[in-house]
Amino acid sequence: MINNDTALMAHLLRRAGFGANREELEQYLAMGYDGAVDALLNPSDPGNMPDDLIRRYHVEQSELRDLPGSAAYWMYRMISTSCPMEEKIALFWHGLFATGYAKLNQARSLLNQVDMFRRSGLGSYEDLLGDLSQDPAMIIWLDNNENHGSAINENYGRELLELFSMGIGNYSEDDIKECSRAFTGWTLGNAEYMAIRAAKDSIWPYGRIAWHFDYREEDHDDGEKTFLGETGRFNGQDIIRIIVKQDSTARFVATRLFQFFAADVISEAGEKAVQAMTATYFSSGYKIRDMMRTLFLSDYFKSEEARFARVKGPVEMVVGAIRMAGSYQNPALGIEKVSNTMLYMGQGLLQPPTVEGWHEGSEWINSGALVERVNFAAKELSDVRSPGVRSIIDRLEASADQGVLDPSDLADGCLDLLGPIQVSDETRSILVEYASRNGDLDLSDHQPGDEAEQRVGNMLRLVAATREYQLA
Amino acid sequence: MSTQTKSPGIALDYVKTIGIVNNGFNGRGFANPYDIVVGKDERIFVLNRCDPARAAAIRVGICTMDEEYLGEFGKGNGTGDGQFIWAVAMALDSQERLYITDEHSHRVTIYSLSGEYLSHWGKAGAGDGELNGPAGIAIDSSDNVFLVDQHNSRVQKFTPDGKFIANWGSLGSGDGQFNLPWGAAVDSEDNVYVADWRNDRIQKFTNDGKFMAAYGSSGEDEGQFRRPTSVAIDSDGFIYVADWGNERVQVLGPDGAFQLLLRGEATVSKWGEDYLASNPEERAEREVSNLTPELPAHLNTPYHISSQTEPYFWGPVSVSLDRQGRLYVTETNRHRFQVYQKR
Repeated sequence: MINNDTALMAHLLRRAGFGANREELEQYLAMGYDGAVDALLNPSDPGNMPDDLIRRYHVEQSELRDLPGSAAYWMYRMISTSCPMEEKIALFWHGLFATGYAKLNQARSLLNQVDMFRRSGLGSYEDLLGDLSQDPAMIIWLDNNENHGSAINENYGRELLELFSMGIGNYSEDDIKECSRAFTGWTLGNAEYMAIRAAKDSIWPYGRIAWHFDYREEDHDDGEKTFLGETGRFNGQDIIRIIVKQDSTARFVATRLFQFFAADVISEAGEKAVQAMTATYFSSGYKIRDMMRTLFLSDYFKSEEARFARVKGPVEMVVGAIRMAGSYQNPALGIEKVSNTMLYMGQGLLQPPTVEGWHEGSEWINSGALVERVNFAAKELSDVRSPGVRSIIDRLEASADQGVLDPSDLADGCLDLLGPIQVSDETRSILVEYASRNGDLDLSDHQPGDEAEQRVGNMLRLVAATREYQLA
Repeated sequence: MSTQTKSPGIALDYVKTIGIVNNGFNGRGFANPYDIVVGKDERIFVLNRCDPARAAAIRVGICTMDEEYLGEFGKGNGTGDGQFIWAVAMALDSQERLYITDEHSHRVTIYSLSGEYLSHWGKAGAGDGELNGPAGIAIDSSDNVFLVDQHNSRVQKFTPDGKFIANWGSLGSGDGQFNLPWGAAVDSEDNVYVADWRNDRIQKFTNDGKFMAAYGSSGEDEGQFRRPTSVAIDSDGFIYVADWGNERVQVLGPDGAFQLLLRGEATVSKWGEDYLASNPEERAEREVSNLTPELPAHLNTPYHISSQTEPYFWGPVSVSLDRQGRLYVTETNRHRFQVYQKR
């Protein structure tokens, strides 16, 4: 029988984090549900693997010149943080404000953007859009370095309205032009040299030179503009101030947050949560943290309907399995291969496919990706040398009478300690039948890597292959 | 741009920068260099640490002060004879045999300066003479080899063929203790210096391991360090420290008192000039760019400043000296080294 408090907390941690092992779960349970929500939404010291250690052993993650090492660098952060919501919200914004390496050839600046998502990702949407508009990676990604007072480039202005806030149908072509005029002069330092280097993928003579924001007053169109019915000598910040007070923006932000953190599909009950988040958006002064609190404390989010209502994204899948297994606690060869694995599953960190980001939900699952997902999770969770798996074995032993588990105990225990994961009767009967092939499991005198431990590893491997494990 | 603090005790003049990024192909340039030694014939040997994605470039490159690239040697990535996985540091013995540590394979590999693999020794473990992550290496005037055994928190002393002689140290921050130590050096009296990386200090020992002194503390002020990686001592006893986490080099007097600080002042190398000459459009924009910009507050850390300020050291991992009083600062993230001359 699954304890409902534990199941609810595990649900919260799958959404506000990457899942949790039993030790983490117990720490959050001690705070109570509301306390856990507050702790997750107010990150303090993440206690992640320190940069000095990473830089010492991984020269490619010190220089951050290329994609594999740079994605791995973020992986380490997600694997080792004790503030998972900070990484989860950064991942959310990375998907929404999708900025990709392929055009930039500048991973350090892309990771600086991710740092900005950590800093500003739970604050006010007005501040976040302000930071985004001054982010050099975004500036190059959407060509705002080519947006001049004498000749506008509408790319950033258009996407700011269409993909980052109000959505198509809520503004006119003239609004796009006026918006773009307001962002003229918002560029990066040494913009022309950096643009050439990015276009040529130049690493010469001495590797990459990272980017910073620069405002060129002489290139800014300071003339009068009319935007969404308001008129003035608007600069970019004025445009953002107008954007964030639109109903369509509130709806957009609430919907996207809901779909990432609550459910792929908005049901009738889910719609109420979206409306509550929209109301919080305005009442809090556009604060994302407050919107998330509204969601996590909503009846909908706590309901059975919301559980396992999302397909895990590849990053969630990979990071969750590694955190559960407890591998990669120190810098180690192979982490860059793990980041490549996410790419094979369809989600390469720092390389979203287009400016629209990834297509999520059921689109994560196709036959090739599913094989990758199952193989990866099964391999991680069946390695009985990993500290997280060893902890599961010890807990199973402690839970058993005289250390002996019957097949049902083994299947239910593994489902519990990997989640708790709720599975269908059919799935459970398959797991129990598999466990029955070798009779009861005696863990009373288990030794590292022995047959008894391997049986646990095999059961964990099988759970990782279930349909239910693919869901968050 | 002034990046030196002058003092009466010592002065260093910037000479030149040598290097260009090498993407893994044969030929000139470096790939995340980690250390330098200079032979008696003044050839400069550069250890390319590199990374798994460009394993072919894990090797030793050779050049001259006139920026002539002489070639490279090594046997690639792996654990076979002469191969490396995570190469860290180098030292020369009296016969000019080149010792190279590998912190992943837990061993020392010896090459001749003509690039011939000679032998390797080292066994993983924590017992006497066993290694767990050998990092810095120094060889004294009697050809005793001192290895910084980082994960065992100790220094070990060996004969040139790897026979154990002695060791000292344990995990901690007290005198004679270490926390992930890295670089090593010996002075003209064969005293041993260790860059005690995570304790942010340099420790000095007698040749047989008696604690003599510790220099530095954690911080960004003069005489303070952030994760020092390498140390070298010149014939007058001045102590050069790669203050890696602060992205700078500091020089201490023989008594450990602060003397001088370098932030880096790289210029375009001959190889870099060749590249720019064949890419005139890039050169034209580079010439009107400001490569020492003021940065916004959230990027105001030594690491971020160096990532955007090309003349500054970025990843100054090693300090090496030659017989002419020249200082070589190896920069991992810029694939080059800067040379300074002691006045």
